[in-house]
Amino acid sequence: MVKVGIPRALSYYRHFPFWKTLLEGLGAEVIVSRQTGRRLLEEGTMHCVDDICVPVKLYYGHVLDLKDSVDRVFVSRMVSVEKRDCDTYTCPKLIGLPDMIKNSFDDLPPIVDFVVDVQNRSLKKSAGRLAAQLGAPRSSVRKSLAAALEVERSYQRELLRGLDPESAMKVVLPATDNGNGAGSGPAGQQGEATGHPLRRLESRDNRFPGRLSFPSGAAEGKRGNINIALVGHEYLIHDPFISHNLPARLERLGANVILMTQVAPEVIERELKRYPDISWSYEKELLGAASHFLGREEVDGVMMVMGFACGPDSIISEIIIREVRREDSPPFTTLVLDEHTGVAGVNTRVEAFVDLIRRSGSRT
Amino acid sequence: MRVSFPHMGNAYIALKALLSNLGAEVIVPPRPTRKSIDSGALHAPEFVCLPFKVNLGDNLRSLQMGADALAMVSGMWACRFGYYGRVQHQILRDVGFEFDSILLGRDGLGSVYNKFRTTVDGNLTLGWARAFRAFKRKAEAVDRLEKKAREIRPYERERGSASRALTEGLELIDSAATLKETGGASADGLEILAGVELEKKREEPLRVAVLGEIYAVLEPAINFDVERRLGEMGAMAYPSLSVYKWLFRPLKTDPGIIIDEYRARRATRPYLPYVLGGEEHQTIAGTINAARKGYDGVIHLYPFTCMPENICRTILPGIEARYGIPILNLCLDEHASPTGIATRLEAFTDLLRQRRRKSPNVSRTAINSQ
Repeated sequence: MVKVGIPRALSYYRHFPFWKTLLEGLGAEVIVSRQTGRRLLEEGTMHCVDDICVPVKLYYGHVLDLKDSVDRVFVSRMVSVEKRDCDTYTCPKLIGLPDMIKNSFDDLPPIVDFVVDVQNRSLKKSAGRLAAQLGAPRSSVRKSLAAALEVERSYQRELLRGLDPESAMKVVLPATDNGNGAGSGPAGQQGEATGHPLRRLESRDNRFPGRLSFPSGAAEGKRGNINIALVGHEYLIHDPFISHNLPARLERLGANVILMTQVAPEVIERELKRYPDISWSYEKELLGAASHFLGREEVDGVMMVMGFACGPDSIISEIIIREVRREDSPPFTTLVLDEHTGVAGVNTRVEAFVDLIRRSGSRT
Repeated sequence: MRVSFPHMGNAYIALKALLSNLGAEVIVPPRPTRKSIDSGALHAPEFVCLPFKVNLGDNLRSLQMGADALAMVSGMWACRFGYYGRVQHQILRDVGFEFDSILLGRDGLGSVYNKFRTTVDGNLTLGWARAFRAFKRKAEAVDRLEKKAREIRPYERERGSASRALTEGLELIDSAATLKETGGASADGLEILAGVELEKKREEPLRVAVLGEIYAVLEPAINFDVERRLGEMGAMAYPSLSVYKWLFRPLKTDPGIIIDEYRARRATRPYLPYVLGGEEHQTIAGTINAARKGYDGVIHLYPFTCMPENICRTILPGIEARYGIPILNLCLDEHASPTGIATRLEAFTDLLRQRRRKSPNVSRTAINSQ
């Protein structure tokens, strides 16, 4: 059995259940790199161009972590993730990721890449390529792709319910040892998904589209008295090392954390209609979610999490601040994360933000 | 309408001709300086790329000089450049300026076309045609002079005389009012450049390709005039891009540029199969070409946090090793100092000279085989 390693970074947080099911369907054994740690990040930074963004440095670290224990390294290439009549892209770094990895290491196991370019190429074709790279029979492609898409749908549904990626993966992927719902996946599947399956799926059973459901049980049933929405790339927010465990930190300070993944895609679509178009699909989601949060009564504060030197974020944060935020919007702050590991800076800013919301009185 | 636009190398000469022929009063801001870049950086997002900050500084200056309309290219690309106009103009409005935005690309061609309905006397279509002709003529003239200056610079007897002659020639072209005058100015400019005193050098000048992000390659204010510096160090600089190419690439009127683009994409495909939205193909293909043509080295310029060029930077070491061509990466930001750049350039050219002395045949044979 071919051992394929998936780095625990970038698209891992969005599509890991999909990749895993697909690869296993094609007869590979999937190994995930370890959780981010100080050494891993240092290694990644050392092998990387110095002025690239933190998430890519992390990705390098995770690839290095896998290097010796796998036969192949899986690198996704996200070119376009939504089908529309105008050009859509992801960040150039996600488009060029396999090329960067290939050209940066000499002693890496062969790379298998999966191209997501829904504007120009079907997923089936990409899956076929992947099967060829793994030496899997073509006949297994259709079935494993269907299974993978099924898992992806239920994963997105769990995310929409308010679970963070790791717990949602536990629910969706039966194979993980300490998962609580064994194979609970596609039980409530009804109707078929419109739009592209790799996009966050709109769930038909969500009776209040756009209503926020607060994560339950995240803090042992303890409810905070303020609601803070986090806007930012999931590979930053949910990497406990690089974000210094931001969601838990906020919860400890007595806040309910609302995640971007809880906003239904149709709500994001609706919000986006109010602004001029943007070609980056992922950043568009940030804009839509921020616009949604900034216009809601029950949100007491919005925190935007950015990685240092992130290209699209530098533009989107400015657009959010200048085009979305209004006089009566809840407090908004940006938190820039980089490879420095000192917690004090993040702590100070998070505490100050929470204090500010509390002091503003009317909103507690 | 008093229109202004940010600087990019000598593009202002052609753009000024275009807009003034459309009947607009054109305000050309002074060339970017440390001060204007700093004022741009003050209002810009923290880690946006350097060209954004420089352009914002330029726009601030032109608004202070009384401009009431700002022109900018805009679009839906993977690169940040497409959003410059939108975000910069919003920032400037928040600062408190009032002006009209001319965003070529975002508003579609129609609205830009119609913006000049009131300023053009007579037929609008004819006005545009006239303006475009002047624009093209001037862009070509500027390109001709730049090329000539580049050729003679390493041989000049007195340091800086070629650059002075170039400035003089460019001024002539800039002040030419009609097509005929432009033609004359171009010829006069070439004559001035031909009059620069040259001397025979003991050794053939080094040949260095200058490539990378387009603004970093073309704007002397942020690359500290790398091209001139190299020339005055006795090296021949070959930029892979020019203002002319940049202006005419999207217009798709020049078959030479279309073929060049196609070839560059083809050469890049083994390294980068997908388009990233910047000049990544010119960088990769330019490096390979430089090696094939037997150049002595490559200088790769890019602004801090530039996305496509950062990806190129991870790929270039492989090409460097495979084709045996030395590459100097220069990352530019608002803190870069001229001395730092000069030191690195000197060291780099010294190394190239040593390399050539050690294996003199390498570059010689390659040149002969062309």
